[in-house]
Amino acid sequence: MGFDLAFALSSVPIILGAVGTTLFVALVSCIGAAATGFLFEMVHRVGGIAGLTIGFVIDFIRSTPVLAWLYFLYFVLPFYGIRLGSMTVGVMGLSLYYSGYLAEVFKAGIDAIPRGQSEAARALSLSRRDAVIHVIAPQMLRNIAAPLGNYFVSILKATPYLAVLAVPEMLGQAFDIASETYRYTEPLVVAGIIFLVLALAISHGVKRLERRLLAVGAR
Amino acid sequence: MSTQSDTIVDIQGLNKWFGALHVLKNVDLTVGSGTRVVVCGPSGSGKSTLIRCINGLETYQQGTLRLAGTMLGLNARETARARRQTGMVFQSFNLFPHLTVLSNCTLALRRVAGRSRAEAEDIAMAHLEKVRIPEKAKSYPGQLSGGQQQRVAIARALCLNPRIMLFDEPTSALDPEMIKEVLDVMVTLARDGMTMVCVTHEMGFAREVADQVVFMDGDASSTAHPPATSSARRDIPARGFFSKRS
Repeated sequence: MGFDLAFALSSVPIILGAVGTTLFVALVSCIGAAATGFLFEMVHRVGGIAGLTIGFVIDFIRSTPVLAWLYFLYFVLPFYGIRLGSMTVGVMGLSLYYSGYLAEVFKAGIDAIPRGQSEAARALSLSRRDAVIHVIAPQMLRNIAAPLGNYFVSILKATPYLAVLAVPEMLGQAFDIASETYRYTEPLVVAGIIFLVLALAISHGVKRLERRLLAVGAR
Repeated sequence: MSTQSDTIVDIQGLNKWFGALHVLKNVDLTVGSGTRVVVCGPSGSGKSTLIRCINGLETYQQGTLRLAGTMLGLNARETARARRQTGMVFQSFNLFPHLTVLSNCTLALRRVAGRSRAEAEDIAMAHLEKVRIPEKAKSYPGQLSGGQQQRVAIARALCLNPRIMLFDEPTSALDPEMIKEVLDVMVTLARDGMTMVCVTHEMGFAREVADQVVFMDGDASSTAHPPATSSARRDIPARGFFSKRS
């Protein structure tokens, strides 16, 4: 089975048409995962019963397949009267799943900040909230820019899972073309190349961001 | 220059343990408004722990510690309110590396004291001038020498207009040639009448500004004497320590 360039090119517009959906899902999931993960880590850090519970939730999320989460949210919740759209479920599933990992990344980023920083914030009478926003979070971000970027790429690459919910993302569209024409090579190669370009672009952007963050007041 | 009528710190029978380690043993210390107390003693004798108790960064288990009339450790909100009367300078500066020198100084003014940006910057610049480093306002801490960073840290602590300044070995992390610039700023502060508690090994500084020198020893409770007698008297444990240092 050879590679038909003309057929490959003809599939490009259809597959590119799904790039918007893929990028939208990835972007919202990144934001959702980062926000949830940061919240998890903040509660985890406080400790006590809430902290222990969140610790368990984080471990639980990380120990279960992302597909299980998507199926659960989409097929089980309706039995309890919660009926969500496939796009919503997809974004929620990816956000929740990756929040468990990002919570660990945030933890490492905060642990790497010298203890003296939060002590100085306390000595200056900053509230806990102000200390997190103005002292801890900016330094944490600088520490974790690289792993955070890796997880954003991972989230982008996890969007094809949403095909099981019939979300019209890129790989699903490519596979639809393949199933209709019985030509698998071209659409899959095209989709793969687009993913590659997107992932490289994100990596590059993160590297630039990291360089800029590190350049601020270079230690 | 100083009146001792107004007590800012009043410590009675303070005890603290880190696990099994008994760091503070029955410490008594009174710091009157406008007085300068120098705390010295060997490593591990609890000097830093004591000064960190004074602004509530550390808790204690026994005794009483009043800061500006408030018993510390009973109520988190009151402890936090009393802490606002203090400014602290750390051995390792602890400037915020991601903020400019000016922003380091304005952060608490804006977030804690509720000042506008312009007001905060005016106050901060005045203090940066006092520590003789206004030209570095737009620099980041990582671009400054250790001595410059410590002077910024002093300015930052002064911005909230504290009634008492706490110094935790402020020159111990500095190269010898930078110690003087920091001590000069501290001497100026003392001359201006600032109440100070200073953990330091700089005996020249102690002799120059201290109204009271507290010697802490791992075994004995702290002893306090006026500085003029502390290095002369024979019967105190501090004597050997002082002669080694000065």
